Amino acid sequence: MKYSNTITSFLFIFLILFKLPVEASDYRNEFVHANNLYSKKQYAKSANAYETLIQKGVRNGYLFYNLGNAYIRMGETGSAILNYVRAKSLIPRDENLAANLKFAIQQTLDKIEPPPLGTLNILFFWVNDFSLNELIFFSLCLNFIFWVNLALWLYFPSLKIARNALLFVLLLSFISVGIKIKNESDLKLGVILAENIEVKSGHSLDTITLFQLHEGALVTIIGKRNGWLEVRLNEKQKGWIPENSLGI
Amino acid sequence: MILKKYTASLAILLSFLLTPALSTIGFGNNISVTATVDKTSLSIEDVLRLSIVIQGTQNTPPPELPSLPSFRVAAAGTSSSTQYINTQRSVSITHNYRLTPMKTGTVRIGPARVRINGDTYSTQPITIEIQKSSNNSRTAGKTAFVEAELSSKKGYIGEQLVYTFRLFHRIDAKNLNLQLPFDSKWFHKENLGEPKAYLKIINGIKYHVQELSMAIFPLMEGLITIPSSIIELDLLYKTQNRNRQDPFSQFFNDPFFGQRTQVQHKVLRSKSLEVNVLPLPKGAPKGFKNLIGEFKISSKLGKRNLEVGDTTTLTVTVSGRGDVKGVTIEEPDLKNHFKIYPDKPEVKQIVDKKQIRGEKVFKFALVPLVEGSKTLPQFILPYFDTNKGQYYIAKTQSITLDIKPSSTKEKLNLVKSNQQSLKKDKPEVQTLGKDILPIYTELDEFKNNDTYSLTFIGVTFSSPIILFFILLFLIKWKNRMKYDVAFYRRRNAFKNANQRLKDMKDHSKSKEFARQLSEILRGYIGDKLNLKGKAITAEEVEACLKESNYQPSQAEDTRKFLEKCETFQYARMNLGSTEELLDESVTLIKVLEKQ
Repeated sequence: MKYSNTITSFLFIFLILFKLPVEASDYRNEFVHANNLYSKKQYAKSANAYETLIQKGVRNGYLFYNLGNAYIRMGETGSAILNYVRAKSLIPRDENLAANLKFAIQQTLDKIEPPPLGTLNILFFWVNDFSLNELIFFSLCLNFIFWVNLALWLYFPSLKIARNALLFVLLLSFISVGIKIKNESDLKLGVILAENIEVKSGHSLDTITLFQLHEGALVTIIGKRNGWLEVRLNEKQKGWIPENSLGI
Repeated sequence: MILKKYTASLAILLSFLLTPALSTIGFGNNISVTATVDKTSLSIEDVLRLSIVIQGTQNTPPPELPSLPSFRVAAAGTSSSTQYINTQRSVSITHNYRLTPMKTGTVRIGPARVRINGDTYSTQPITIEIQKSSNNSRTAGKTAFVEAELSSKKGYIGEQLVYTFRLFHRIDAKNLNLQLPFDSKWFHKENLGEPKAYLKIINGIKYHVQELSMAIFPLMEGLITIPSSIIELDLLYKTQNRNRQDPFSQFFNDPFFGQRTQVQHKVLRSKSLEVNVLPLPKGAPKGFKNLIGEFKISSKLGKRNLEVGDTTTLTVTVSGRGDVKGVTIEEPDLKNHFKIYPDKPEVKQIVDKKQIRGEKVFKFALVPLVEGSKTLPQFILPYFDTNKGQYYIAKTQSITLDIKPSSTKEKLNLVKSNQQSLKKDKPEVQTLGKDILPIYTELDEFKNNDTYSLTFIGVTFSSPIILFFILLFLIKWKNRMKYDVAFYRRRNAFKNANQRLKDMKDHSKSKEFARQLSEILRGYIGDKLNLKGKAITAEEVEACLKESNYQPSQAEDTRKFLEKCETFQYARMNLGSTEELLDESVTLIKVLEKQ
């Protein structure tokens, strides 16, 4: 009785602490409906249905992937790439997604190289193959195993289950999470949604046009001011574009 | 002495460290922002230099310029200065801009703004007069001028026109920056080689000419205006010392020592040009693929007499004036008669008298499969000749082949060879089309991938750590209870005393009651202080409690209680006094336990 009360109290605190996210399974019927619209080649309607689900707070990589497909069929390459990029952060190892993203990028007019990887990203090469959630989950599991291992060691001091190796892997996993968070905050990618946009030297229309970009071009966002975004293509080419011409 | 030396060194070090830091500190009360221009009246060929000086601080964001649609704005660097006048330090930073006028008239440069420490400072507006070029006639002996011309004022869609830009300059010019105005929406353009440089005499004045030609292909019909080409350049005026009486000046005016040069930045514009782009006439022949120009097509066969299984090469050459890169030729229809292996076409393009000419060569390897005489079909190339304004069809000559049967030996070889070639020359699987992969419909995939909340991460992360330390504490406590006797006695003192007091109630009438009560209390104190409690006297108990930081009153109460118990051991006790004594002992133990 005493223990059951403790467990009930613990569960109550747990429920208060964790705000439950929107559960995707609640919207399964709407997902099926959107898929059916896509199958009937009503791409605009299916895109609308997918967008509605996203607005309701559903965050699912396959949902963004399907939305990207709908936009490709509608000929809106920029929106398609934007949603594929969003899907990539959630399902980074999906082969179909990689193929469709490549296809969509081939439809664009500008030849743009992906942003170069930093030294940390080269050393921690696996970071880009996992989503942030996966890395956090892996770190939490490792953290649990490490402390359980330590606890076992207290009871059975002769039992040394690779404690140092576990600690090393645990630290690596924490650093990986840190790099991933840094990448997601620093390397903010944006996609040009306008058909043709002039990249200016400053955040004003009367500044010099440095170069032009076309729909679907991927850029790295490095700054923001007065409704303008500073974007970078590579080490040499960067400039300002109006905020509303870019999808983030 | 040593201390003084170190103090001096520290002061020097601090001054070095603080000087750059201080330079970035704003002096809020003395901040001022002013805008200046190098001239208020200029011609459209000149460049205006705008300087925004921020006095009183150097650590500011760049100024926000007003809207300047009449100018093209380019940053021209910043400069900062620090001055000390009578121990007063003043700092400033200057942001320079180069404004290239785009139209004539009176133009107002609005206030530029700078935000410093939450305050906004604005500059005063400046009015500028932009006049037309001082002399529009190019023959009036100008130092430098430009011109642009088009090979024709009208042309068909896709016809090659030549746009020529020329820069004439009498004196040296450097830092040339040319901007050609072609819009990719209206024209496709191709370079016609490197710029040419030559000399030309105009009205007796020698000019250096830089000429750049470009082929342009109109993409849309209608009257199209090609806007002005703009070139920015620095003209280098060589100046001489006017004091010709001074022998030193004459000496240093010698070219050996170089001459002083004065640089003038100029912006020159060519006139805008108009071109009437005509649509292609109706009646295009079948197979016409927007090929514009004048072309010839010819075919050649490597070997005409051959046997079944032999290989020969069919070469088709398209050459002429126009864009040959876009020419395509379909594979000849020779099914069941030949195996055909097309080669990658080769393109050569040259510029001849400002006209793009080229040659594209298609090669097909033919392997006859059946014997007999066979005539290869003609290749047809429809095109539109812009000079004559008509469609034409270029054709190749028919070629007839005589294919003999292969000999027996060779026949065997042929079979063998075919098998080998099937392996060797098996064509790679060709990609016929590209498309996206289908959508995901499995509902198992449709789960929320929302990022874990910080609370979840925090609790999940810290839970095993907290549990571990609780476990560690429990283990240590258990071990201490096991091995530390004093600790064990102290922890169980109250529990044992309480239990014994409960057990005593049945004997409350006994004379032994007071003795047992005294023993329980001394036992409790002995356990708490790790002493042999039963053997110590009331005075010793008081002393021990005082030593162990119990309050003197508690120690005294305990002694008095023990003395009372000793008294009752030899005196008669009634029921009320035993109960009173028992309550008193319970209270005393509780008070001592709280300590």
